[in-house]
Amino acid sequence: MNEITATPAAAQPPAGCGARSLAIARTGARCFFVAPALALLAGCAGERTQSALHPAGPMAADIARVWWILFAVCTAVFVVVVLLMLLAVLRRGGHDRFRSPLGDKFIVVSGIIIPTFILAPLLFLSLGTTSNLRMPETSVTIEVVGYQWWWEVRYPDFGIVTANELHIPVGEPVRLEMTSADVVHSFWVPELGGKRDLNPGITTTFWIQADRPGVFRGQCAEYCGVQHAKMGFLVVALPVNDFATWVSERQEPHPEPVDERLLRGREAFFTGQCHACHAIRDTGATARVGPDLTHIGSRLSLGAATVPNNRGNLMGWIANPQPIKPGNLMPPTYLETDELHDLTDYLMSLQ
Amino acid sequence: MDSTQQGEAQFLETWRNPTGFPGWFSEVNNQPLGKRFMVTSFAFFLVGGAMALLMRLQLVSSENNFLGPEVFNQLFTMHGSTMMFLFAVPFLEGLALYLTPLMIGSRDVAYPRLTAFGYWTYLFGGLVFFASFLVGAVPAAGWFAYVPLSGRPFAGLEMDFWLLGLALVEIGGLVAGVEIVATILKLRAPGMTLARMPLFIWAILAAGLMIIFAFTTLLMATLLLEMDRAVGTQFFNPESGGNILLWQHLFWFFGHPEVYIIFLPATGIVSMVVAAFARRIVGYTLIAMAIIVTAFVSFGLWVHHMYTTGLPELSMHFFAAASLMVAVASGTQFFAWIATLWGSAPAFKVPLMYVLGFLVVFLLGGLTGVMVAVVPFDWQVHDTYFIVAHLHYVLIGGAVFPMMAGLYYWLPKITGRMLDERLGQWGFWLAFIGFNVTFFPMHMMGFFGMPRRVYTYPAELGLDFYNLIATVGSFILALGFLVFVVDFFISLRRGTPAEDNPWGSDSLEWSVSSPSPSFTFYAPPLVQSRHPLWHEPDPELEDPATARAREALRGAPAEFRATLTTDILTAAPEAVYRLAGPTYVPLFAALGLTVLMLGILGGWYTVALGGTAFTVAALGVWLWPNEMTLRTLRESDIGQRAGLPLFATGTRSTAWWGAVWLLVILATAFGVLFYSYYYIRLFATVWPQGDLPLPGLALPPIAYALLVGSALPIYWATRSFHRGERSQTLASLAASLFLGVVFIVWLVYELASLEYAMQDNAYASLFYVISAALGLLVLTALPIGACAFLRMRREHEDRKGFMALQMQITALFWFFTAAMGAIVFFVLYLSPHVV
Repeated sequence: MNEITATPAAAQPPAGCGARSLAIARTGARCFFVAPALALLAGCAGERTQSALHPAGPMAADIARVWWILFAVCTAVFVVVVLLMLLAVLRRGGHDRFRSPLGDKFIVVSGIIIPTFILAPLLFLSLGTTSNLRMPETSVTIEVVGYQWWWEVRYPDFGIVTANELHIPVGEPVRLEMTSADVVHSFWVPELGGKRDLNPGITTTFWIQADRPGVFRGQCAEYCGVQHAKMGFLVVALPVNDFATWVSERQEPHPEPVDERLLRGREAFFTGQCHACHAIRDTGATARVGPDLTHIGSRLSLGAATVPNNRGNLMGWIANPQPIKPGNLMPPTYLETDELHDLTDYLMSLQ
Repeated sequence: MDSTQQGEAQFLETWRNPTGFPGWFSEVNNQPLGKRFMVTSFAFFLVGGAMALLMRLQLVSSENNFLGPEVFNQLFTMHGSTMMFLFAVPFLEGLALYLTPLMIGSRDVAYPRLTAFGYWTYLFGGLVFFASFLVGAVPAAGWFAYVPLSGRPFAGLEMDFWLLGLALVEIGGLVAGVEIVATILKLRAPGMTLARMPLFIWAILAAGLMIIFAFTTLLMATLLLEMDRAVGTQFFNPESGGNILLWQHLFWFFGHPEVYIIFLPATGIVSMVVAAFARRIVGYTLIAMAIIVTAFVSFGLWVHHMYTTGLPELSMHFFAAASLMVAVASGTQFFAWIATLWGSAPAFKVPLMYVLGFLVVFLLGGLTGVMVAVVPFDWQVHDTYFIVAHLHYVLIGGAVFPMMAGLYYWLPKITGRMLDERLGQWGFWLAFIGFNVTFFPMHMMGFFGMPRRVYTYPAELGLDFYNLIATVGSFILALGFLVFVVDFFISLRRGTPAEDNPWGSDSLEWSVSSPSPSFTFYAPPLVQSRHPLWHEPDPELEDPATARAREALRGAPAEFRATLTTDILTAAPEAVYRLAGPTYVPLFAALGLTVLMLGILGGWYTVALGGTAFTVAALGVWLWPNEMTLRTLRESDIGQRAGLPLFATGTRSTAWWGAVWLLVILATAFGVLFYSYYYIRLFATVWPQGDLPLPGLALPPIAYALLVGSALPIYWATRSFHRGERSQTLASLAASLFLGVVFIVWLVYELASLEYAMQDNAYASLFYVISAALGLLVLTALPIGACAFLRMRREHEDRKGFMALQMQITALFWFFTAAMGAIVFFVLYLSPHVV
């Protein structure tokens, strides 16, 4: 029912069976886990929108590569050791009661020497991949501030403030400077890379890069209170030109509403006390308690990637967001029905 | 003949455990208390498991509304905390408390009253913890309680339940840890050298030592957090100079060793069961070494829980290397078990089945552990269901399965009844299959983007199928444990009576009757090999002194409980050690502490003060030498008959070792404070923060010099005491006491005259709290010195007996206090002046 990612800009290649040979191979390997028939069913059941095994950026790709190496090594070790163990208990020895045919030498070789030779390369794999994933040269910097339970997204170079959505240019590494306004959160977009915590009082840096256009879902990975589960966000990767267009469109001042409804809606924004928590550029509303609504009309989702953004959902959210995202910090808004309609129209007009 | 029978009757009477309702509260013997630890913790295990089932029901499908976010968050918090703090460690401690004396050939653990105290604090702590359900303020900050979510204003009263309840539980765990270590080091049967100890004993010795350091760290961390919450210190508040990562470092410095504190005793169980079923053990030395290596390295792993916090790359690599290294130690144990079992054609009875299940499941958990040690991989799977899968493979596979093996293996010794083989096999297969069905799919859930600790997930993540499988599996797993519970109760009523040694095992516990008698061994056993029951000891080879000691303790002494203490390394008899009998004092001390915690909880500080006074009074009664006991001991001839002292001093005395462990705990506690001081300083732009004045260097050096110098008269007192110079001893003691009092008076003046409050910023909090901690240490040293002074007036001639021990402990404690004073002076007063 939540089809946030199925927006026009987000034509994501399906990850089902038969899409690409690589995908088939990986689905197959995944199927090896459970009974193959079941996994085939599950692997093809539908599109997975947050899978670390479908990398869309260099960091995620590197990590996925590390995973397949680890998977191969560990599977081999597992199979060999379990076979040894079964052999140990099933083979009938008929040996001396108090002596095993295997002694300390066996233990030293198979328990110390061989593991060392397996583990040492893994350490180098860890070292190598980590240094490979150091922050590259970046052209775009985005500041991300975690709040209970949404994300403030700021583009200091462009003067854009938005929420729960990061627009990035395809193929370019983007620098993230992150902190938290309250408790610890963690930024995670599985298809683009690993995660990094947002710590109050500390600024952490991180980077993301998408190699293909699309909408990638992310969510908070560090438990942060009641609605940790619904603290999602979207990364919208746009071709470089589209990104430039997006930026310039966001920088345009909103045209002064001419429509009566929109003017009434803007009024309702203040009479309904929305401005106590939310900011809208150039209106005098500057509060930073809740998400900045300057571009709310163009956003793909509401409630931090909880429901798709459309007129019905927005109006429902304004009237009472609690049924949609129980425990979130926004109270119900008490407005007359037509005020609510006007307000919704006004907000939808804010591109 | 009559007198022998009379002696025997009196011996049995002395060792008879109190009965009836009031008797239940005065119990101190390790066996009933070990059982209580196990039963209580198993009850918590069932409660924690029920919570897990509720969570699995909530997660059975996407966007499910069975529980809602608040309740779900409470449940996973309580599930994790219950399993880690109230089940795993206490259960293993209970098992260790029960088995240790039986396995090493002593009659009880080293400090019986402490066993009772540990149990009561554990029980009361658990009750306080669960009382949060009664008042509807259930903790919901996770078992790791990360700040600021666990601080004010994000968490209210519920977090105080968590912190204060757990503080009590930690105290219980800590004293049980000390108990286990002291018992193993000092109470082993004659001849049981370190190299002859059963591997379970090696494992719990390592775990006990780890508990001493890890639990102290956690206790200090929870105290710092509770102070932030209750009195407004700023250790973890980033807005006032505190650092939230300090909590994570402290928590994981406890939290990672915690995993091995649970895992190592479990490997000890596995080694015992494997040896019994294979009728041999291969690689004993390698296993013991692996245990020691694991214990050490486990303290160097904590940062691998923090790879995503944005730490410097180099430190991550260091911890990655250490994390991989610990895998080698586990691998060593693993292959030692395989070598032991190789071709031994073991009988596939229930204990062995659980061990085999452990081997498979733990192997997989260990391998995913290797994976997450690889830094970039961890960035992806950290805090996802992959970790949930990994940790349950490690903890259920690595600890609960061995515990089940241990229960099927040792319950016949504990209850005197065999468990049912058929039900046991059913239980095992249900648990094994249910476990894998539950947790294996969670690896995939992690990859497909399911973070931990979410009460629901959107359908578009494609996780419904895996979650459904996991939920089905969890009920199969629960059914497996249920079968065990049923089996247990049936066996109590109708189980086949157990023989002394039903498995043909090698270790001493199987040489006594089933169920084991409260005095364990009628005469101290003789140990001449690693497998005392497989290699009949040869009395010809026993040296006469040991034979005499063992003979003297055959069914004796009858007037009081006693056991042999032996040398730490060689296990040669050193002394006859009187063990405390039933008493209510530990219960009162634990009650006092509980009242103290409840007082803080409710903000009723007079109640808290009353609780403190009650605890101190109980401790006073506990520690003050009982004249009647002293007389009984002085009239006893057991010492002469055994050719050993009855009043041991120095390293021969368990009391002296008790003091040493106490000081180790205190040193660790101060270490945590110093670490916090420098950690916060490291990230501060100015020091002292907030333009507070540097500590003055006028009066403080004099005051601290007096404190450090007070060690000198104590030294003189010890010397004069040994020379028999009563008045000089008393004068020296008085001088030390005087200097201590002067320091306390100055410290109060110093803290009162500071121009800032401890709530101002983290620096101020650290300055106050470290000063106050030192003040408390001096306030503890003072009554110890005063007690020595008071008793010295009458007992100054007791130069080889009890008074000598008291002087040694007084001096030890005082020297420690002086040394700590010097370090505190350096940290607080000198180091800020050094840039």
